[in-house]
Amino acid sequence: MVLAVESKGLSIGYLDEEDRVLWVVKNVDMQVREGEIYCLVGESGCGKTTLGSSIAGVLPPYSVTRGELIIYGRRVIKDDLRSYEGVRGKLTSYIPQNPGSSLSPYMRIWDQFWRVLREQGLNEKTAKERATAILKTLSLGQGVLEHYPHELSGGMLQRVAIGLSLATGAKVLVADEPTSSVDAHLKLQLMRLFKDVRDNYGVTIVLITHDILLAGKACDRVAVMYAGEIVEEGDSISVLTRPLHPYTKLLVDVVPLLGFKKTLASIPGEPPKPGLLREGCYFYERCPFRDEVCLNHVETQVIDGRRVKCWKPLVDKTTS
Amino acid sequence: MVASLNYLFKRVFYSVFIVIGIIVVTYLLIILSPGDPAARWAGNPRGPGAEKAIEFARVELNLDKPLYLQVILFIYNVLTGNLGVSISTKTPVLTAIWTHMSSTLELLIFAYIIGIPIGVLLGVFSSLRRGSFKGDVLESIGFIVANTPSFWTGMALFLVFSEVLGVSSYGRIDTRLATIMGFKPITGFYLIDTLIQGNIILFFDVLKRLIPPAIVVSLYPIGTGIRVVRVLMSEALSEDYVKQAIALGVSRRTVIWDYAFKGIIPGLTQVMGLSFVYSLVDAMVVEYVFGREGLGSLLVGAVVSNDFKLAVATLIIISSFYIIANTITDIVQAWIDPRVKL
Amino acid sequence: MRIRVPTLMISVVSTVRRVWKRRMRFRIGLIIVSAITLLAVLSPFIVPYPSEGWGLIPLNETNVSGQPPSLAHLFGTDDKGRDLFSRVLLGSSTALLQIVLVVGVSLVIGLTLGVLAAYYKGLVEYSLNYLIEVFLALPAILIAIPLKMAFGPGLHVIIASMVLTWWAWYGRVASVYARSVCEMDYVTIPKLSGLPGYKIVVRHVLRNVSPPVIVQAVTDFGSVLLEASAINFLGFGLPPDYPDWGVIAQNGLYYITKMPWISLIPGFFIMVTALGFSMIGDALRDELDPKLRRRWRLWF
Repeated sequence: MVLAVESKGLSIGYLDEEDRVLWVVKNVDMQVREGEIYCLVGESGCGKTTLGSSIAGVLPPYSVTRGELIIYGRRVIKDDLRSYEGVRGKLTSYIPQNPGSSLSPYMRIWDQFWRVLREQGLNEKTAKERATAILKTLSLGQGVLEHYPHELSGGMLQRVAIGLSLATGAKVLVADEPTSSVDAHLKLQLMRLFKDVRDNYGVTIVLITHDILLAGKACDRVAVMYAGEIVEEGDSISVLTRPLHPYTKLLVDVVPLLGFKKTLASIPGEPPKPGLLREGCYFYERCPFRDEVCLNHVETQVIDGRRVKCWKPLVDKTTS
Repeated sequence: MVASLNYLFKRVFYSVFIVIGIIVVTYLLIILSPGDPAARWAGNPRGPGAEKAIEFARVELNLDKPLYLQVILFIYNVLTGNLGVSISTKTPVLTAIWTHMSSTLELLIFAYIIGIPIGVLLGVFSSLRRGSFKGDVLESIGFIVANTPSFWTGMALFLVFSEVLGVSSYGRIDTRLATIMGFKPITGFYLIDTLIQGNIILFFDVLKRLIPPAIVVSLYPIGTGIRVVRVLMSEALSEDYVKQAIALGVSRRTVIWDYAFKGIIPGLTQVMGLSFVYSLVDAMVVEYVFGREGLGSLLVGAVVSNDFKLAVATLIIISSFYIIANTITDIVQAWIDPRVKL
Repeated sequence: MRIRVPTLMISVVSTVRRVWKRRMRFRIGLIIVSAITLLAVLSPFIVPYPSEGWGLIPLNETNVSGQPPSLAHLFGTDDKGRDLFSRVLLGSSTALLQIVLVVGVSLVIGLTLGVLAAYYKGLVEYSLNYLIEVFLALPAILIAIPLKMAFGPGLHVIIASMVLTWWAWYGRVASVYARSVCEMDYVTIPKLSGLPGYKIVVRHVLRNVSPPVIVQAVTDFGSVLLEASAINFLGFGLPPDYPDWGVIAQNGLYYITKMPWISLIPGFFIMVTALGFSMIGDALRDELDPKLRRRWRLWF
């Protein structure tokens, strides 16, 4: 088993205007295996986009890092040193949340493909063939190349953006909320597209989403994030059917299902503000299973190949 | 193609209206001035026949008619291309304007050919190093340069050239040398004229007199360039598509120039077009310091001698610089940004 | 119009304090401008040779003309023997007077007409925009020349000619902002419910358009000074003996090789003052634009 992405104690924060650090990602240990679709799930503000940006190498310049991030054996983050030279666009690439603003409005689609493919030393003719081939697998015609972004529809732009990141030949694709701007009935289609891409190109996909159903449907493994931490990581089916962490369980419970007479639950309280570092479990205030110990004790346990950040996971309730 | 023609038509139509407005304002301003243009036209006559001659001149200049009719007749004349004959020198107004304007234009264009690339390059450089020492130094230079009065730098440079370097930079050309060598202006741009006539000595003479004032005039576009490019580039560099290009591994140079810089060209053109118009004042000041003929000296002469035809014509032509600059901005914007249609 | 002065003052003071804390450029600019203002206010009391400052030629002219800077004459004397320090000192109040009058009057005219041009449709909109375009195309210097010929040199020429062009600039800026404000719900809804137009304009549009336009005006102080000085330098504005930096610099033009200080000292003062104002304006603008607020290094 080859690890595509591995992080060891990775923390990421942003400097605010008074030069204080707001920690957004805290002490994350993450292992993404080669060729899988790995899903980062969590509510907004939990740090999943920041974690994704750190893999794709687009952390803003005012961010602060601790710990290590390793991509295919290349150590890209080592505490405050960040070096994405030869990684960005070679090993990793990024599928943006909003394809409309992520394509340069001043260039034809072809010109943007050319600027990406040129980096791999292709000549114009082979580059064109390559671009056409990629677009074809995304069921887009060659005619798209001659258009400007504003002349295409949202769905086409999305596929163009995917095509561009495939064109880099990167082994790890980070897709940031790819479904957030897509109609419901197209979501599954898009997820199928991601699976096809994975099968055809042999890439690893890190999918960032807040949609837990999507995570269960399309992904091999899931990491649930809360307040900057990965609280549970494991294969998607077992994490979502038999959650170990209380937060995961609540998250699964709030999903509305058609046809099931189930009162809709909600998670009481609000997630903590980013930036606070403290002892104990960050989910303490909202956890229905909390007790005194949780206030200043938290430990990572490995159960059935799943990792959970809770000293008393819900293991007996679900398995017994 | 049809769209462009449509745009051109609209632009011309609109410009004509603006020019009419400018004509009205300037005509009224000049007519308000003391002194009698009619007397000047009649050659300031004295003696018994004087009143009759002045009266005759008054009729000839339409000054006997009511004010609104004067204005309408004047507008009609200008729009039909009849700018008339200078009242004081009795030469056609256009030739008088061109000999002076070519001098000013030569200075301005030369200054902008130096200034824009320097300003833009330094601006991009400083925007890439915002917050670092080098970036701050560049920014401060841009700041100081854009806030220095042009006569001050002009005088300082004049002092340096004449006292320290011992090079005379007064005037446009060594007139004595020009007469000896039989130099004749053709286009009015002396740099081109001397080259056409194959006169290398005079070419360098013109160049050495052009460079110091041009440096002074170019300081404004350099300063504005640094400041404007820094602001625009900083905004462009935080666009999503720039971040995406970085994530796709596009090389640094391509990201800066093809992605970020391309987006700021329309805004930059607009600012540079406007600053070209503002630089007219700088050019007049610098011409005054360096003793060059130009639009400034022409205007002063025209107003002092109550030559309202010359003055109005000059004002109209200077004001149309603004319209031309706006038109160029629009064209550049449509050329760069595919979403904008003319 | 009811302006709540206390809250306005508090927000101004707190903004100034915040920017002061964060931006060195703002601090330098504010110190420069305060110093110049102090000089301008105190100048009538501390000027050593008031009559010479106002342009009178001293009796023993030949003895003192063209003296380099010394203790008796801090900045030296000019070609006519006048104490340059007195003239430059009095020039500071002239400079501030021109800046404040030009920007103040143009701001009032421009704001009013610009907002009206954006709020009312039809003939009002077209004619106002047309006026703005025409006057934007006319450089102030061109208006100054005939005005000077008609009314003689003086403050009125420089103020009038510059106001005539600068109001159009604020008109343009105000109408651009006002156009977006006029599409907001807090303008369209009162309009639909029949509130009279002037009330909406004053209460909702003007109040929201003024702050950014005023920031723009602060940024322009330096440019106004530079332009006024250029016009005065060319002799199209103030009379030749007036204590104005541009005029003094012009007086020294013919003696530039023999007595360079006559022109260089007032020019330096213009530069420093313009720089001070621009620094304040620039820092304020940076502060209002979140994209410019951060210091950063390039990250790729």
